[in-house]
Amino acid sequence: MQSLNVTENGIWYLRECLRAYTGACAYFMLYAAALVYVCVFGSKREKEIFIPCSVFLLVTVYNPVSPVLLDRFFDVNSEYYRFFWLLPVIVLIPYLCTKLVMSGGKTKTAAVLITAILILSGKFVYADGIKLAKNIYKMPPDLISVSEAIHADSNVEYPKAFLEYEYNMQMRQYDPKMQLTIDREDYLYVMTNDYTDEMLKDEEHPQYRLLAELIKLQDVDPDAFVDALEATKTEYVVVIKDHPRIGYLEKAGLKKVAETSEHVIYKYDVKEPYVFELVDYSVVY
Amino acid sequence: MLVIALGVICNFIIYLAFGSLITMPYNKKREGVKCPLLLSVVTGFFFYYFVFFFVCVPPMQYFRPLSMLTSIWVPVVASVVLLSAVFNGKLWVKWLKNALSYVRRHPAAIILLTVLLSIQIVLVSCTYNFTLDAAYYVANVATSVDTNMMNVYDPFTGAWQDHYEMRYFFATYSMQDSVVCQLTGIPALIWTKSVMAITIILLTNMVYIMIARELIVYKDGRKDSIRNPELAVVIMTGIMFVVNLTFITIYTSSLFLMTRTYEGKAIVGNLAVMTLFYLFIRMNDESINVRPWLITFIVCFGAATISSSANMLLPVELTVLFIPMIFRKKKWSMLLKYAACVVPGVVFSLVFVLYVKGYFVLYTFPK
Repeated sequence: MQSLNVTENGIWYLRECLRAYTGACAYFMLYAAALVYVCVFGSKREKEIFIPCSVFLLVTVYNPVSPVLLDRFFDVNSEYYRFFWLLPVIVLIPYLCTKLVMSGGKTKTAAVLITAILILSGKFVYADGIKLAKNIYKMPPDLISVSEAIHADSNVEYPKAFLEYEYNMQMRQYDPKMQLTIDREDYLYVMTNDYTDEMLKDEEHPQYRLLAELIKLQDVDPDAFVDALEATKTEYVVVIKDHPRIGYLEKAGLKKVAETSEHVIYKYDVKEPYVFELVDYSVVY
Repeated sequence: MLVIALGVICNFIIYLAFGSLITMPYNKKREGVKCPLLLSVVTGFFFYYFVFFFVCVPPMQYFRPLSMLTSIWVPVVASVVLLSAVFNGKLWVKWLKNALSYVRRHPAAIILLTVLLSIQIVLVSCTYNFTLDAAYYVANVATSVDTNMMNVYDPFTGAWQDHYEMRYFFATYSMQDSVVCQLTGIPALIWTKSVMAITIILLTNMVYIMIARELIVYKDGRKDSIRNPELAVVIMTGIMFVVNLTFITIYTSSLFLMTRTYEGKAIVGNLAVMTLFYLFIRMNDESINVRPWLITFIVCFGAATISSSANMLLPVELTVLFIPMIFRKKKWSMLLKYAACVVPGVVFSLVFVLYVKGYFVLYTFPK
């Protein structure tokens, strides 16, 4: 949970964390109800299995003070929610549902009712529709075309490219010979922040100018943009076909070298060619 | 498709071989000990990664190529499988006969379970999911194979890194994927997102079935009130699937299982957490007499080598499950065994904290 911070929220961190974790799902409520059922009607064995661990979790993991204390020793801001995985929701609720279905006389009615409750209690994983993979690599076919086009054009084994967010995150899973200008942290930053003038002048991070112009659509001087391509040794810039900065790229002197079904590939002729080579470890062993 | 199926089958044979070395009876006096086939396979999965860790870390720390690790690991696996076949061959035949007999006795339950598992296999292996973390995990496998080095190049950009990322240094799971990809020539994307995804979904469901059987078909001399327990096991496993389909936010373990199945975090959050819960039920019932604490230790250590999330998660789970049980049963000798199971996670966490705080650095080149 990148957006939640223990220092800012204090003992309310847990509440916010739980809220984000459960979302619109009512499974924790169902779990609490199931636990009450076990307390009242459960066998000794059922109580031994489900009650002590739930109580122990309640006073530790679900104690608002715990994240505050833990944060003094470890950075738990983004990972505390993983402790919620320990509550055996996936065991207790199905177990009691099964008992209900199997022990009553009206099996079918109970089964339908329970399935309805479960579905209404949560959010379907494929609520936005099931997207079937279009190839065995589970990659967009257009990404594969982009990779092939760049390698076909390039004279080096490891060409360097600027890609938009999704392709940037996926390209090296398919093609480890593609060097990327932008790393994950820069893209995570750009998703929620703008660049200040100071950042755009930062010579140590020339990639900010590329992201500002092509992703945030902030105005960057074309010369400064080209300087950034030069400094990062970026040879290829891949943008979606209807990208609003296509004219800008052409004006900056980039040449279109290929086009796929969804993207256009521009090439910048780096003044001082850069050839990436793997480190020679044979001198070590 | 054939490659994917063969990959999954090979995985299960190897896990069975590794696991039955832990669960087999070591002497005639303990001939009567029984361990379910499914638990042997699940134990084997964690034992496999436990052994791999010790083979992987030294070459990685001394900047040796991935091919060297592959050439060490293949004979190790072959020897373990051979050794296990020699010692456990008869046991495997017996298990196979029992399994076939079970299938003959309960055809309806088996058909329903097959349908349930098939749906899940199709969902995890045929759907397209964009996840940010795959940019690290899958790309790390692809990068390691391409560069023939381990964790030396940044998976996000391909640039050389001068030091190892400690978060991933001990989590050698993806290096095992790299070894297999290098050995077989299977692309990283196919191995991780199809073969391993199917393997993990099957293993997780095996643990669900074991838990369901323990809860429903409970034998302590009394007749359980649930009629047709085999059908009940199928129904419970089916409802578990429904919960996994519907308990969805970007943080739940169900989402990790259904969309990021091949990631270490998904394995820890689902398979490891549920395996410990199963072991807890068995130990609570005192119905497991085949090295339960050794299996627990292997699950904890093995999980820590799969994802660093296990380092904090499993010690807490062990505590909330086993400490109340130990106190209730007043079996104080178990405290020492519990402590031994907590140690791997705690040690890895401490090493990580020391690394992050700058007490030491592991460079990717001699300094």
